[in-house]
Amino acid sequence: MDVLRTEFTLNDMPIEVTLPVRATLADAIRSTGATGTRVGCEEGICGSCTVLLDGRPARACLMLAAQARGREIRTVEGLAAGGRLHPVQESFRRHRALQCGYCTPGFMMLAVGLLEREPNASPERVRAVLASNLCRCTGYAPIVDAVLAAQQALAGEVI
Amino acid sequence: MAVVRGHVGAEAPRADDLPLVDGSAMFIADLNRDGQLWARVVRSPVASAVIVGIEISAAVRHPGVAAVLTADDVPDVQIPIRLPFAATPECELALQPPLARDRVRYVGEPVAVVLAEDPFTAEDAAELVALELEERTPVLDLRAGSGADSVHDRLPDNVVNRVPMVCGEVDRLFATAEVVVSESVVVHRHTGMPLETRGLLAEWEEGEGRLTVWGAAKVKHFNRQALAQMLDLSPQSVRLIEVSVGGAFGVRGEFYPEDLLVPLAAMRLGRPVKWIEDRREHLVATNHAREQLHELEVAASEDGRLLAFRDRAWCDQGAYVRSQGLLPALLPALQIAGPYAWEGFSIEASAVLTNRTPVGTYRAPGVTEATLVRERALDRVAAELGLDHVELRRRNLIAADRMPWVFDLGPQGEPIVYESGDFPGSFEALLAQAGYDDLRAEQRGRAPGGEAVGIGVSAFCEVSAVGPFEQARIALEDGRFAVYVGVGSVGQGVATVLGQIAAETLGVGLERVAIHHQDTADTPEGFGTFASRSTVLAGNAILLAGQDLRRKAAAALGIAEDTLDVDLEYARLAPQRLTGEGTFEKEHPSFTFGANLVLVSVDRELGRVRVERHLVAHDAGRAVNPALLRGQLCGGAVQGIGAVLFEELRYDRTGQPEVSSLEDYLLATAGDVPAVEAVIIENPAPTNPLGIKGSGEAGMAGAPAAVANAVADALGAGAESLALPLTPARIRALVRARELNAQPEAS
Amino acid sequence: MRPAPFAYERVESVEEMLEALARADGEGAAVLLAGGQSLIPRLNARLVRPRRVIDIDGIAALDHLELDQELRVGALCRHWRLEEATSLDGPWAALREAAAHVGLHPVRTRGTFGGSLAHADPAAELPLAAVTYGAEIELRSRAGQRRVAAEEFFRGPHRTALGPGEAIVGARFPSPKPDGVSAFAEVSRRVVGWPLAAVCVVLHAAEGVIQGARVGLGAVGPAPRRAIEAERLLEGSALESSAIDAAAVAAARACAPAVADGVDEDTRRDMVEALVRRTLAGLAGAVW
Ligand code: FES
Ligand code: FES
Repeated sequence: MDVLRTEFTLNDMPIEVTLPVRATLADAIRSTGATGTRVGCEEGICGSCTVLLDGRPARACLMLAAQARGREIRTVEGLAAGGRLHPVQESFRRHRALQCGYCTPGFMMLAVGLLEREPNASPERVRAVLASNLCRCTGYAPIVDAVLAAQQALAGEVI
Repeated sequence: MAVVRGHVGAEAPRADDLPLVDGSAMFIADLNRDGQLWARVVRSPVASAVIVGIEISAAVRHPGVAAVLTADDVPDVQIPIRLPFAATPECELALQPPLARDRVRYVGEPVAVVLAEDPFTAEDAAELVALELEERTPVLDLRAGSGADSVHDRLPDNVVNRVPMVCGEVDRLFATAEVVVSESVVVHRHTGMPLETRGLLAEWEEGEGRLTVWGAAKVKHFNRQALAQMLDLSPQSVRLIEVSVGGAFGVRGEFYPEDLLVPLAAMRLGRPVKWIEDRREHLVATNHAREQLHELEVAASEDGRLLAFRDRAWCDQGAYVRSQGLLPALLPALQIAGPYAWEGFSIEASAVLTNRTPVGTYRAPGVTEATLVRERALDRVAAELGLDHVELRRRNLIAADRMPWVFDLGPQGEPIVYESGDFPGSFEALLAQAGYDDLRAEQRGRAPGGEAVGIGVSAFCEVSAVGPFEQARIALEDGRFAVYVGVGSVGQGVATVLGQIAAETLGVGLERVAIHHQDTADTPEGFGTFASRSTVLAGNAILLAGQDLRRKAAAALGIAEDTLDVDLEYARLAPQRLTGEGTFEKEHPSFTFGANLVLVSVDRELGRVRVERHLVAHDAGRAVNPALLRGQLCGGAVQGIGAVLFEELRYDRTGQPEVSSLEDYLLATAGDVPAVEAVIIENPAPTNPLGIKGSGEAGMAGAPAAVANAVADALGAGAESLALPLTPARIRALVRARELNAQPEAS
Repeated sequence: MRPAPFAYERVESVEEMLEALARADGEGAAVLLAGGQSLIPRLNARLVRPRRVIDIDGIAALDHLELDQELRVGALCRHWRLEEATSLDGPWAALREAAAHVGLHPVRTRGTFGGSLAHADPAAELPLAAVTYGAEIELRSRAGQRRVAAEEFFRGPHRTALGPGEAIVGARFPSPKPDGVSAFAEVSRRVVGWPLAAVCVVLHAAEGVIQGARVGLGAVGPAPRRAIEAERLLEGSALESSAIDAAAVAAARACAPAVADGVDEDTRRDMVEALVRRTLAGLAGAVW
């Protein structure tokens, strides 16, 4: 089987993987042991695999591993820093925004991507962006609440 | 350290969140064993055919392929039915073999398994398995009867069983009724669709004769028993381990063909075998649910008293009777009476075979379908009588002082008993929270603006807390109180709730308790997680085990039990290897009351429905953790909204599924649903010491019915049959029909 | 779900792309992979099985967006760039709104303008915008360059005017009158997902009278198309409600919807009529 070596940055660490050419970025990330990027559909719909690609949310299942060459990828494993959870992680816990937790990393990356680029996003905008990912357990309201609360928390940090 | 109380009823944080938010939680796809092979299942591409031949040689020769298994390589066994009360001799004639032998009966049925060094190769080689099939005319009509081809030759009329139930003098009641309304409802096929697909990893240790399978959920002790039997092993040599589970909703964790095939392959090949279902497979391989046709007649008096009903139902079992046996037909029959004081009813539910994916149970099975059917019909009765929908229900809910309520099913069957509850009081609590009268005023106020606003209600009684028993064991291990139970965690937070009960009983802090449920090797025999039973059954078993431990500890220390602080004495107690044991038995299931109220607006021109408010009331008996309970109710309600507006597993006329990915199977998103409001009612259950009632499914049970009623109300179509799901095309058809009807008056 | 095997080749320039395409022509099915948001799902599900995948994702020269006398969009311009281009207002607003409706937020991070045109889904937003604005699609092959009007480019569901060895390099949108207004609207089953009907409207008025109107319809025929009769009814009108109604009815009549996704023709026509009426009514305020 044809394999290909690809180098990219994963959570600020240079990474090199050798994988079949048909492997996706989700395969590549997961092959490093960072399995928090979940896979639920492999067709871009569910959002469980959402990561940040050069700071923007993207589906890791809709990109060949080879296409990640030289790019900056951030995943759930890169959120906590210095032994402290990211405010979005804290907020998901506090607002009970997860039940089974399968969708959680994807939702958090989606939210972090949004809040970093649009710290003043309106609640309507937040809800519209969150409609990109699927959760089968929570009914969404706790997720929306968690992201709106995290937005406040992040704003507080900046000030 | 003081004795700690007050855990039960507190909104304790979830015990198991941290690994889920930092990404370290291990789901089945995240596990690997050295030297593992990957399995890929070859599935039937057609709905019904005779297997003439299976050509595997090209696949076997493909580089990287270790083996290809067909029916000839697997023992001649079938997947057994899990619950004795859901099995009949006829069911045995339609059980599913792990690999199709002579016939394929639905698109997606496993016919072969490829084992290869990596998942890419496995999938490549699976395409090389050539099936020679002689197609038959598929059976797709629920009422095809004996004129059609047979799904199983030994059941020529395609009916597995008929479930009859009679209560009271139905014919007399109909004869005296002033109003009779009939309603025919087709509940459409949809299913649980957890975000994580199924998956398994199996390892066989030849030397020890030990088989380990990771990826179990829901009913692991039964599955261990079944697997051991099929493989001719002792149950003790088989170990099933539950890792993180990405949602189950009734479909995940039942015994499926792969649950035999993957361990079998591991044994045959002497290497670990991993299998991860993909989403397209999931859509045809994992249980479907809900599809049934009901013809319901309701008899009522002029003053709005419900007298009797007759229900004839045809319940799709799909192509095989799977591990849940006749439940798809039994459960609606058991729950269609609902919370109303009927004087009689008669039911005949037929379990019907078709050439579609087998049907199992999905969250709130039977009660969801039955509630849709009954509550639609009640709105028609109300329309017929010119009575407000809410008023009709008020007049007929069983009064609190008539508890326990018994529907006597005569010599044929066990009576249906509602042991406790205050149905009218609970219903009024829902209306009060909703501000029902204000909502009606709002509806009238918005009408002139051209908006179609509707209000729908539904009420139901849900069977829950099904026995027969659960066990718990509490040991002093690793510096904590280790609680072992046989139920499963499928993402609903059961470990947290059970931890609260254990901590409360022992009188210790939450952090001092560890709940163990993952591994059949060290957990007591259990029946698993279904029918909203885990908290009730395992919770009470923990209560008994905790009391037992305290009793033994007090005796061992020679002190009075009521002065005992087990945590303070931990160091003295631990070396004594004391364990507390508890078994909670429950002979009869309990019925719990729930109700929904929904406000929708309908865009008449675009045929789009917006659910603006959704309230769900539920009698939880006692809320062990109100926050988690709200999470269950709200999540369930949103599934219910999606079910009635978006989700549908359609088939074409040849039995090919028309929905093959999440692009077509539409799950509600954050933009499609409101923040659901939960109204928690606590009328303690008299039949268990903790007083709790099952809650895992109550959010779902009445949601589709209430949404459908609200849409009908908005369109002034209360008295019409609705086809489901309520797509824009169907809404437009209703609007157009009403516009046509209205025109003669206008002109 | 893993793609069937393919050979992978990454190109860094338009010339390399055209070379690779020409070479691949000899060996059978090759596909260009850009953002991959339509292609990779179909690869993963083995619905397409190319022998060779030519990855053009990294051709920097095709990733551009320039607005002066006209608007030039490179084939690799990502949807988010159109969506966030605040300079696209007034007569250009509909293009921006169309881009904001493509797929899902994370899909717009990667999805490309050229990819959307090449995929030619009858319900896709950007092809509809290209037809409505009268864009010209720029195609190149080793043999040279040509421009095809968007209306001619889309030939049917997933069928385009692209010839062998040819690739989309970009599109030119002629500038609408600067004082124009525009809007885009669609309806789908949920708040996200493919539209069941979509409309794109560009108007320009002088002294309260519509001078030019373009009304495009998507998802209601084999390819996006303009509703010429509706445009004619709008031109010369004052966008009064009778003109709006007439245009909406004409637009509904102009579409040839197929029965798909369980939606019948009547419903789609009803949707077109409602969307056109509402979109025009929304613009009426801006015209005055
Ligand atoms: S796995 Fe990537 S979106 Fe579902
Ligand atoms: S928490 Fe289970 S899918 Fe979102």
